[in-house]
Amino acid sequence: MNDITQVLGCEPSNASLVRVQQFLYCEARLLDQGRFAEWLDLFTEDAIYWIPATPGQTDPLNVPSIIYDNKDLLSMRVRRLSDPRTYQTMAPPRSTRIIGNIILDAEPGRGDALQVYSTTFVHECREEVRRLFSAQCRHVLRDTPAGLKIASKRIDLVDCDTVHSAFMSLM
Amino acid sequence: MALSVDTIKALVTPSTVHRSVYTDQAVFDLEMERIFGKVWLYVAHESQLRKAGDFVRTRLGTHDYLVTRDEHGQFNVLQNRCTHRGATLCNEHQGNTSRMVCGYHQWMFDLQGTLRGVPHRQSYPAGFDMASPRNSLARAPRVDSYRGFIFASLSESGPSLADFLGPMRGAIDNLVDRSPAGQLELSDTAFRLEFRANWKMHHENANDTIHPGVVHSSSVMTARQHQAEPTPFDDGQTREMLQGNAFSKKEWEGIELVALPGGHSYMDGIYRSRLLARKESDPVRDEYEAIMKQAYGEERASQILNLDRFNNLVYPNLSINAQYHQLRMVYPVAPDRTLVVSRCFRLVGAPEQIYHRAVRFLTNLSSPASMIYGDDAAIFERCNTGLSGSDDEAWIDMSRGAELDKPFPGGGTISAATEAPIRSQFKAWLGYMTDGAHA
Repeated sequence: MNDITQVLGCEPSNASLVRVQQFLYCEARLLDQGRFAEWLDLFTEDAIYWIPATPGQTDPLNVPSIIYDNKDLLSMRVRRLSDPRTYQTMAPPRSTRIIGNIILDAEPGRGDALQVYSTTFVHECREEVRRLFSAQCRHVLRDTPAGLKIASKRIDLVDCDTVHSAFMSLM
Repeated sequence: MALSVDTIKALVTPSTVHRSVYTDQAVFDLEMERIFGKVWLYVAHESQLRKAGDFVRTRLGTHDYLVTRDEHGQFNVLQNRCTHRGATLCNEHQGNTSRMVCGYHQWMFDLQGTLRGVPHRQSYPAGFDMASPRNSLARAPRVDSYRGFIFASLSESGPSLADFLGPMRGAIDNLVDRSPAGQLELSDTAFRLEFRANWKMHHENANDTIHPGVVHSSSVMTARQHQAEPTPFDDGQTREMLQGNAFSKKEWEGIELVALPGGHSYMDGIYRSRLLARKESDPVRDEYEAIMKQAYGEERASQILNLDRFNNLVYPNLSINAQYHQLRMVYPVAPDRTLVVSRCFRLVGAPEQIYHRAVRFLTNLSSPASMIYGDDAAIFERCNTGLSGSDDEAWIDMSRGAELDKPFPGGGTISAATEAPIRSQFKAWLGYMTDGAHA
C-alpha cells in the first residue's frame, strides 16, 4: 500500500486522531465562547503563537508578522481583549468556527510532541460587520501530565498579505 | 457640483471645521484634484529600485501608478493603465521587467512609458504614431528624490521638493543618518490597513498628545497590570510600547508640538520626557552606539541618536518615525475610506537586532492585530459615523491651545497639548483648495 496518506506522512492511527480532534474542537469552542483565559491555559509556558504576514514565511525576526507572540505577550493580548476600555470589543464580537481537514503528522517532532495540520473557517460578527477568516493551522501539541497542551500554533491566513481592517480576532 | 472658492472658505474657520469637509464627495473630489493632484507625494524608496527594470506599484491620490527605474538610472512615475483599452499593466506590488506588456492585446511599453509595440501594426491607420504622447503612459511631470525618498508631483510647476519638505527634511536626514553606512533598506512586507473614515482623521490624530491617555487606555492598563518580568523574547519592547501612551500631565507637557507651514508637524521631546527612554542595560543598543561612534565620531553620533523628533508628518501622505525606522503612507480611497500602508527600514551597517526591533515595532503598531492602532481606527470610524449622521450644523473644534502657541524659528508654532498641528493642516488645506498654490 502506498496511498496518499503515506505520501503526505499522515498518521493513520485512529485513537490519537480522535483525541487530537476533540482537543482542537474544544479549543475552537473556547474561542467562540470568548473564554480567552481558559484558552490561554491550553498553551505551554514556552509556547509560540504565530500569524505570519507573508505566505510561506519562515523568518519571524527579519520579516514582520501579524502576530508573533510568546505566552507572555499572548497573555497581554488576552488581557486587553477583556478590558472594558477596548473599543473593538466593547460589544463583544460573536464568532463561530469550524475546524476540519485534520491531519496528524506521522513524524513526531519530539518524543512527546504531535504535529497537527488543520483548516479553519471563522465567521465573525462585530458591530454589524460580518467577516470571514480562513486559514491553515499547524499545532504542535505536547502530551503533558495535565493533558494535551499547545507548544506552538501557526496560523496561515489565506489573505495574510492583503488589505485588512485594524482588528484581528484570535484564531 | 463645483465648489466655489467662497463655499470652500466658509467650511473652515480659525478654530472649527464643517463636517462636510470629512464626508462630502465633492470636497473629496476637489482634494484629489487640488491637493493630491498637485503636491509632492512620496511614491517609493530607492532601495526598492536598485536595478534597471525594477518597478513598484504606488498610488497618487486615488490613481494607480508605477515607479520604474530605467536604463539610465532615472525614476519614472507612470500611470498603471494601458493606453489601448485601459487595463492595468502591472498587477504585482513590485518586480523587474524590461518592457511592460499589457495582458489584453500585448501593447508593449518601455520603462519610460513610451509605446514600443502593438500587434497587427499594419492594420493601424497611417496617422497612428507609437511615439505620440497620446499613446504613452501618462506620467507625473515632476519626479525628484531626497536622500533616497522618491516623490512625484502631478503638477508641471510648483515649489521644489526641497522647499516643499522644508524642515521635514530633518526627519529624513535623521533616519538616513541613523544607519552607520548612511543607507536604508525598505522592508518587502507592508501592512495594508483600511479604516472607514476620512484620510484627514489619521493626520489630525498623529500629533495629538491628549488622545493617547483616553483612546489607548486599554493597552496602557494591560501593560501596567502585567506583572511578569520582561522575557528575552522581545526584550520587553511590546510592554514598553503599550505603556508608552501612558502620558502623565507633566510628561505630555514636556512634549512640544511643532506645527509647520504646509501642514507638516512633529512631536519634540519624547525622550526628554522619559517616554521611550533608553534602557539602562541594553547590550544591543551599546553595540549599535559603538558602531555609530566609529562611523561618525562621538559628537556627531550622539547628535544623531539624540535628535528628539517623533511622528514626523509630511502633509498630506507620509509619516516618518526616525527612532524606530518606520514609514507610513496614507492613501485616500473615498470620503469615508482610507488605506494606511506601513513598512520599516533596515539600517545598513547596524546590528541585526536593531532591525528585529524595527520589525517588532511595525508589528506592534501597524499590523492588523495591533493592540494600539486598532483603537485609533475604531475612533476614526466613530467620528465618521457621528459626522455622517449629522445635520449641517455640525462643526468640529480645533481650538485647543490657540492662544498658547509660541512662534517656531523659521515659521510655524510650537507648544504643548495644542491642536496647532490640525490648524496648520487646515491652513495648508485652505491654501491648496482655494487657489492651488502652495500655502
